[in-house]
Amino acid sequence: MEKMIVLDYDKCIGCRTCETVCSLIHEGRINPVEARINIAKYEQVGVNIPTLCQKCEDPACMAACPMKAINFDPSLGTQIDYAKCIGCKMCIMACPIGGVSLNPINKKVIMCDLCQGDPQCVKSCPEQALEYIDVSTFSLKKRREGVKKLAKFLEVVRT
Amino acid sequence: MSGYTGKILMVNLNDNRIQTISTQQYNEQFTGGRGIAVKLLFELTPKNVDALSPENVLVFMSGPLTGSLAPSSGRIDVVSKSPETKLLGGANAGGFFGPELKYAGYDGIVVTGKASSPVYIDIFDDEAELKDAQHLWGKGVFDTVKSLRKGDEDTQVACIGPAGEKLVNLSGIAFSMRNYAARCGLGAIMGSKNLKAIAVRGTKGLNIAKPDQLKDIAEKMREHIKKMPSYQEYPEWHYKLFRILESDSKSFFGNYEDAAWKERFETYESAERFVKRAEFRSETCFGCPLRCWAYINVKGIGGAGIAACQGTLTSLVNFTKVRDFEKIWKAYLMCQDLGLDASGTSAIIAYAMDLYSRGILSKIDADSLNLAYGNAEAVISIIQKIALREGLGDIIANGVKEASEKIGKDAKERAVFAKGGLELWLMEIRPFKGVALSCAVTDSGSHNRATYGLCEFYYKSMRKQAETAAKNLVGTEEAAIPTKYENKPKLVAMYENMHILADSLGVCSIPFMPVGLELWSEAYNACTGIEVTPAHLMMVAERIRALERLFDIREGLTRKDDTLSERMFREPLKDGPWKGEFLDKQKFEKMKDEYYMLRGWDLDGIPKHETLKKLGLE
Repeated sequence: MEKMIVLDYDKCIGCRTCETVCSLIHEGRINPVEARINIAKYEQVGVNIPTLCQKCEDPACMAACPMKAINFDPSLGTQIDYAKCIGCKMCIMACPIGGVSLNPINKKVIMCDLCQGDPQCVKSCPEQALEYIDVSTFSLKKRREGVKKLAKFLEVVRT
Repeated sequence: MSGYTGKILMVNLNDNRIQTISTQQYNEQFTGGRGIAVKLLFELTPKNVDALSPENVLVFMSGPLTGSLAPSSGRIDVVSKSPETKLLGGANAGGFFGPELKYAGYDGIVVTGKASSPVYIDIFDDEAELKDAQHLWGKGVFDTVKSLRKGDEDTQVACIGPAGEKLVNLSGIAFSMRNYAARCGLGAIMGSKNLKAIAVRGTKGLNIAKPDQLKDIAEKMREHIKKMPSYQEYPEWHYKLFRILESDSKSFFGNYEDAAWKERFETYESAERFVKRAEFRSETCFGCPLRCWAYINVKGIGGAGIAACQGTLTSLVNFTKVRDFEKIWKAYLMCQDLGLDASGTSAIIAYAMDLYSRGILSKIDADSLNLAYGNAEAVISIIQKIALREGLGDIIANGVKEASEKIGKDAKERAVFAKGGLELWLMEIRPFKGVALSCAVTDSGSHNRATYGLCEFYYKSMRKQAETAAKNLVGTEEAAIPTKYENKPKLVAMYENMHILADSLGVCSIPFMPVGLELWSEAYNACTGIEVTPAHLMMVAERIRALERLFDIREGLTRKDDTLSERMFREPLKDGPWKGEFLDKQKFEKMKDEYYMLRGWDLDGIPKHETLKKLGLE
């Protein structure tokens, strides 16, 4: 995997645009339960957490699939082969992060397919809470952000 | 159908009958939301219906864009006959309820009758049933929502707090833990029907006529919204709004007697300190990039969502002159939880404080509370008393107009309200002739349902933009000057049409004008497959407006009711940037003449036969 969708929980404002655009593109209608991405909302504490398949390097879903219906594409990660899928839902059970789900309308298992390399949720996110970036850039960016926080902390200590 | 679900849920609480009717018989003429809602209200209620009787109906109606990919499409319109104004009562709410209702397969819900004991409507897709709500009666909004969600945060709840149960006119309908259909006493309508809540969860989704087209249009619309001058500032509005009102010269303090409160600048600073110290996260409504909401949490007091709007923190502070923001935060949380319209509640508290300062209300009348301006403890006590109708709270729970009649002559002179007795939305209106006109002629007396963002609003702070808007709309820059009476009727009618369309399409009125009617028409076409032009939509707005008017007239409204309380005409502002301004009765009546003419109504304010014929409303 070279690129991944990075989620920034602090930036997400919970508008659910990613869910609507995802379901519209994949299913031709708007229905958040059919979206590959989901915003877990916790209204009472004001928290919005986007969840979606993280394209693991050693995917538990793939290992659990009895039909070898999940392929690993070098640039797009795990992808479901619906010709082989029997809908047993083992992948949903095996995924430790809730990245695979069941479309309740057509009973098919769904996971993010990265829109073949041009993820529309990322494009439509008004807050850039979702970014499609190079994996190595991502970790470096996180480090830099960590340092910034530390710098802020040092400032407080100095004054 | 696409864009629409095609079904409206009809709930009769008299005999527990639940059925559906087709949306298709209404959508061509009335589009959706506010338009279809008023049509249903008109059709389903008898003339002179008592607002709190079982015969009154309560309509929740989404629009064809609600829950679609079009930005800011979380809206739902709520309409009934208002117990406060005895006229059409309408309010519009954002959040996530409208979209969820559509995903469950319904464009709207119509509630009629009265349940024999407290119930709630439980909706999961095709299953809609009435369930016992006795265990929820008396509970606040936060607990009610939590209880009905049963751990599923995607379940959306519309409910009332204790204030709605006690039939308080200042009660609203809460949408989950944040948004409110706040005004016109709609919470009391639910209370009168023994309807505590509606819980909805939908997994059926929404058909879209032209998905690719909608995706492209929505992207364009989001770009427009991000270019709005206020877009960058919204997350800071929670404290900046005080200064924005000040720079627009819209502020007043107390019960409209003080435009230059000496301690105001210190107060604005406390607002900033308060927000910056609190746990703060930006939030928004369904599909909206604007983030005019935030979650604020203050240790030891509590956390909740709040809109950066005139009706919340600013209203509580400017009306009551309380400077302790921790107490104001507590007061806000109480309003949200008890089910009160924070805006109207602040207005009635200021009114009581004004009467108290003049000795019109004695300490005995005030239940031994010291109702001096700025007394935070008294504000907190009185909020509780209003919601539960205790002591003085009971006397003022139905709003300023009714309170002034109960308390008597001297009290009447101090009263400030819009048409029918609705409390004004927080801003001084005497210098703003267009806003004042809209308070008198709108469907419900609520100017934020008609002329929110009128170019007069920002004339003082952004003169160029205000003048450009006025020139584009009515051909002259002068129309933007707040104190001018000329051209205001035309401006008001145009803004009102825009509001009607936003409320009927199911989108927020804040980005409606900046995005422009052309794109909204395209989005409507992409969602529904129905071709419309902006001109056609404007015609629909005229039709909806005429039907709203016919409803009010049926309920006894006459030309003389299209007005505000006397004080706005009699008492000039005694200080501040608009010193000396008041409403000139003669010029005001002339504005009404012109407004009626533009609408195709006669001088009594009744739609002419030819107007109704043109609009297909005969």
